[in-house]
Amino acid sequence: MSRMELAEKTAKLVSGLVDEYMVRVDTVDWLMVKMAHGEITVVQSWRKNIVGVYAAKDGKIGVLSFEARSVEDVVRRLPEILAKLQPSPFYAPLPEPTGKPLSFTDKKVAEAAATGEVSDKLEELGVARLGDAAGKIDFVHRETVLLGSNGADLGYNSTSFNGYVRVFRNGRSGQWSWTSTRYEPELARRAMDKAVELAELCAKLPRERIEPGKYRVLLSPMIVGNLVDSIVDAANAGMLIFGMSFLQGKKPGDQVFSPSLTVHDKPLDTSLPGFAGFDDEGVATRDKPVVEKGVFKGFLHNSKTAKVLGGETTGNAGWIMPRAFNLEVAPGDMKPGEMLEMLDNGLYLTNNWYTRFQNYLEGLFSTVSRDAAFVVRNGEPVACVERVRIADYMPRIFSNIEAVGSEQWQIEWWEVRTPTRTPHILMRDVGISLPS
Amino acid sequence: MSKPDPLLLSNLVEKALSLGASYAEARFHSLRTLQILMINGAILGAGESLAEGVAVRVLVDGGLGFAATTSLSHDDLEKAVQRAVASARSAAPYMKRPIGMGPGRLGRARYSVEPLKPFQDVSIDVKVSDILDIYKSLELEKNGFRVGNVTISYVDSVEEKIIVNSDGAYVESTVPRLMVFYNMAATAGDRKANRWNQIGGSGGYELLDKLDVRGSMEDDVKSLYINLVKAKEPPRGKLDVVLGPEVVGLAVHESAGHPSEADRILGREAAQAGMSFRTTYREEFIGSEHVTVIDDPTIPGSYGFYLYDDEGVAAGPRVIYERGRIAGMLHNRETAAVYGVESNAAARAKDYASEPIVRMANTYLAPGDYSFEELVEDVREGVYIKKYMEWNIDDVRWGQRYVGLEAYIIKSGELAEPVRNAALEVTTKEFYSSIDAVGKDLQFFAGTCGKGEPSQGVPVWFGGPHIRMRGVTLR
Repeated sequence: MSRMELAEKTAKLVSGLVDEYMVRVDTVDWLMVKMAHGEITVVQSWRKNIVGVYAAKDGKIGVLSFEARSVEDVVRRLPEILAKLQPSPFYAPLPEPTGKPLSFTDKKVAEAAATGEVSDKLEELGVARLGDAAGKIDFVHRETVLLGSNGADLGYNSTSFNGYVRVFRNGRSGQWSWTSTRYEPELARRAMDKAVELAELCAKLPRERIEPGKYRVLLSPMIVGNLVDSIVDAANAGMLIFGMSFLQGKKPGDQVFSPSLTVHDKPLDTSLPGFAGFDDEGVATRDKPVVEKGVFKGFLHNSKTAKVLGGETTGNAGWIMPRAFNLEVAPGDMKPGEMLEMLDNGLYLTNNWYTRFQNYLEGLFSTVSRDAAFVVRNGEPVACVERVRIADYMPRIFSNIEAVGSEQWQIEWWEVRTPTRTPHILMRDVGISLPS
Repeated sequence: MSKPDPLLLSNLVEKALSLGASYAEARFHSLRTLQILMINGAILGAGESLAEGVAVRVLVDGGLGFAATTSLSHDDLEKAVQRAVASARSAAPYMKRPIGMGPGRLGRARYSVEPLKPFQDVSIDVKVSDILDIYKSLELEKNGFRVGNVTISYVDSVEEKIIVNSDGAYVESTVPRLMVFYNMAATAGDRKANRWNQIGGSGGYELLDKLDVRGSMEDDVKSLYINLVKAKEPPRGKLDVVLGPEVVGLAVHESAGHPSEADRILGREAAQAGMSFRTTYREEFIGSEHVTVIDDPTIPGSYGFYLYDDEGVAAGPRVIYERGRIAGMLHNRETAAVYGVESNAAARAKDYASEPIVRMANTYLAPGDYSFEELVEDVREGVYIKKYMEWNIDDVRWGQRYVGLEAYIIKSGELAEPVRNAALEVTTKEFYSSIDAVGKDLQFFAGTCGKGEPSQGVPVWFGGPHIRMRGVTLR
């Protein structure tokens, strides 16, 4: 059964049971190569149909999701689920489907995703030259259909070529990532080269232990991508409603961050794999600032959160939670070589993980550095530090931006799930903590 | 939907072998869940999901290939086998040492967790009503203190599997589980704080009462009140600390369980969930004689329960640290082959689309014989941290941090005033070496443990009793 047939069949099954519905079918071919110690530890491939259904009846909301043989088996429970619920405070009529198809696929990516044959590409990417390295490379081909009782009849196709490598040299490591809708070997090789460069630089330098305190810190695009994800999460109206946003109490127009920070949600940017011409309610997407020159520009909404909080959908639906598509942190004017010079004395952190909020409402968080982390004196890396922790308030550190790099990187990895284009950012007075 | 004929899976294994695989396994895996989402006493919505399909994993010339499909048609399943074989073949030239499958006690068995109240026998309106009753029982306003944004997510699930491999394993299983996740956001004056929590186990609807979701939420409201209204700044520096079972359980999961995963020690997850200090740690001891950490998938009613892992190997308790000494690792058959040992059944896959990798199940610090009062009475000056609100740990599982939600000063052997946001930041060795007494009150907590790529969240319990630590640093 084709995805359109599957979508139509599902819509037909659901339509007689409810007042309103949306059906989304994603057919996904996905190939993932995982590496460790320069070896291929596993090659995984998937071919699957993912079917999602939004249904509303008498103001009650039901959502189904299935990756399964049979549509009927899941849909048959829908009447019972809806009958036993109460009207939802989230319910809003489905909006007009203003979205337009926006597709971009790359044949090389789609072929690799479908066949599982990647030997030539691994050679072209030069994986073997990395030596002791771990990582993964993804080839994804997605075909999407969206049908709705609001008249939505939309579809689009996309591809994604993304990955990351962690390179080891003498017990030190550097990690970097890339993402694109096209098969761009040079983009991947550039990221791999960066990981090698960081690992080799760190391996040459002595280790140094630092004391907890406030530091000037240069954050790599890997870290900026991770932290900006958290900022955009806080700008998600769903997170606000669920009490997990440090932007609670803020309104559009409030200066929350440094004037140097501008962040856009860019669904129409087909060079990044999160693009889409319509959201899950069929509404047209649009590129928009979330933060512009430090000013909070507004929450990301679907029709439901817009109803709860007052406002209009921003074309960012998920059916329950809104979502961002692609993110871009606007570049500054500081050239790559100048960032360390301007840092002068401080820390250059190149990767992080395990970002956790101690207090979502106040933005108090910590995150742990991993891979190459440098002590910089007089603009030169002079030592590497072991894993340290940024422990501070998110709005505060992003108010302390001193410079933004001019060179952007396209990042997507384990800790940056939304494809993000971002430069380096230099901050002052950042709380650094570590075990005694 | 009914499980497929096991012969279908056996045929896939045979097909893979005929295409050149030296090892093949086929797994039918079905995970059905019902979720009900409530916010501030109103039902936001409900949903059902079903992830069901077949996974095929093969070894060809020492390369490992994995393919999964939702379709059970003959053609699609054969294509999945072909893809897995082709993938393994493209990996093989990159292997310096071929991947192998080590020994393990392979099972031919069928088991299931029998619920007292099967989920399908409980109407959705009863589930809705019970969740709303829990919400209504909470005292959410008191003297300027207010809890808002109360979100409760109720999830029941049934996981069914059939595992067949070319070494003779055949295991069929059914495990139902219940999980409740909640989040609360509280304010008092200009102070704000969150508490989120997860409660879960294997069994049926009876777990909603048995796991005392209501009691847990009520207690968390009290913790938020204490944190925002009563608590003062904590002391800092080197102090004696008594940790509650919730913090102890999380700490052993993070700094005993994870670093003992053999694939992590070997670097297989290096670019994702990270590595382990055990790769280079050459000392015999990691902690005091009071420290014994065990991971046991077979604890009845546990959230991480299973009797056979996803490679068909029979499970049992696994000692990770024993009386302060580094003891065992968690192995699947791949890592067992590298170390020349038997697999101890740690291979788990989240769903049909996931490869089985080394995972914890139910990890805990073995109890001692102290009462809580005995632990506290021997502390002249210290802090008792009962619950955490934030934690993280570095990617080799060495430097870790736990920030207290509810914590108290200990003065001359007695609990005194509450303190807010006491942050314990220690190394793994410091943590386990500082323990000089262990309580007898073992408790378990539920979590969803993340690892792998694509990320695989699997249900686990982590637990422990109260412990006493001497001279650790609070920030």
